[in-house]
Amino acid sequence: MAEVFNTIVRSVVVSGAATALASLWSIPLAYTLIFRSRGSVLLEAIIETLVGVPTVVLGLLLYILFSSSGPLGFLGLLYTPHAIIIGESILVTPLIVSMGYRSLRGTAHLYYELALSIGADRIQRMRIVVGQSLPGVVAACITGFSRAIGELGIAMMVGGNITGYTRVMTTAIALEVTKGNFEEAIILGVTLLLITISISVSVKLISRVWMIWRSS
Amino acid sequence: MEIKLIGVWYRYGGSREWALKEVSIDLRSAEVVYVDGHNGSGKTTLLKIASLLYQPSKGHIIVDGENFWGLDEGRRTSIRRRVVYVHEKPVLLNGTVLDNVAYGLQIRGISRDKALENSMKVLSMFSIDALAHTPVRKLSTGQAQLVAIARALAVEPDILFLDEPFSNLDRERRGLLISTLNRFRSAGMGIVLSSHSIDVGELGRHRRIVLENGEVIKVYEFE
Repeated sequence: MAEVFNTIVRSVVVSGAATALASLWSIPLAYTLIFRSRGSVLLEAIIETLVGVPTVVLGLLLYILFSSSGPLGFLGLLYTPHAIIIGESILVTPLIVSMGYRSLRGTAHLYYELALSIGADRIQRMRIVVGQSLPGVVAACITGFSRAIGELGIAMMVGGNITGYTRVMTTAIALEVTKGNFEEAIILGVTLLLITISISVSVKLISRVWMIWRSS
Repeated sequence: MEIKLIGVWYRYGGSREWALKEVSIDLRSAEVVYVDGHNGSGKTTLLKIASLLYQPSKGHIIVDGENFWGLDEGRRTSIRRRVVYVHEKPVLLNGTVLDNVAYGLQIRGISRDKALENSMKVLSMFSIDALAHTPVRKLSTGQAQLVAIARALAVEPDILFLDEPFSNLDRERRGLLISTLNRFRSAGMGIVLSSHSIDVGELGRHRRIVLENGEVIKVYEFE
């Protein structure tokens, strides 16, 4: 039971770290995309397409990169939690960029102009624009976390499902099913479902509170 | 401070029509300029170009002898901090009235305590200091308008640009705004405003620029 608990905690920590890492570049990227006049439609289409990239394809690419004979093999990242974090952060990037872009798009130009008019510098302008759409940006990050915690391909291929080290909920479920331990698989499955549902509910609540706030 | 628009043309992205055509005007500190014209004549565009928010499609903007749009980003920001543009429909940031008014000061590196103290002084000029801790979402449009103008005045700009500042104000608030603007003007602040509802002369000696279809058709001087 202790290992089940550790696996749950590890899943949350790894996916949380991956989401936080992805947010560092995804939100500035979404912001930049809004103020790009040329090629923004094409970039938007590419990013939206990448939202649906199969996790096993990304896992395979990262496996090739991180394997001992691969270009990044010298880093010794294969079969470590760091490899999963990197993989999941790449996986959720298009999702956070796409959702962040949509939440910023409506008001970005107005607040950008306001920020300019009160003398904000480049960084302060971004903080103002993102800050005014914060619930939407947070919702984008939460959805990214939801996607990360539920993925299997990357965690399996670059994490290796090592007990007590890289085993996360999805790889544990897959393993327990192959071993015929359906009870543990169900506990993990239900827990994963509860975490995902609670995240989805939070997103909806944030959106609703934001809408009420905006209209009052 | 002096802002010179030299042969400025402006066209919005995706539009074939010129919003401004060959506009050349000078704006200075301690001077009042009314920008007059019908709806769609280009008043707002002119104010946004002159307040250094929009880059002209053609022509130059010279600020104190420097070609503004040829400068690096850091220098442009430091020049922009000497002018403020206030939108016709007030745009406020989430938070309280005091947070909003203090914001412009804080981004200029002034400590929060000092910024709050100065902001309260400006709010009291408009007799809205009692609203200092009110969330901005609870304000009426007229109150929000005064807060937006208070935020602009708190940073004591060299030139203040006001787009239809009286449109949401009742008679009492309008009087308060005019007396406050006169106070800042006496201290050397320039005011450039577009307005349908102000009697010429309420802000003293001024210049009046009349726009039609994006062109300056007349300039009057009034004592």
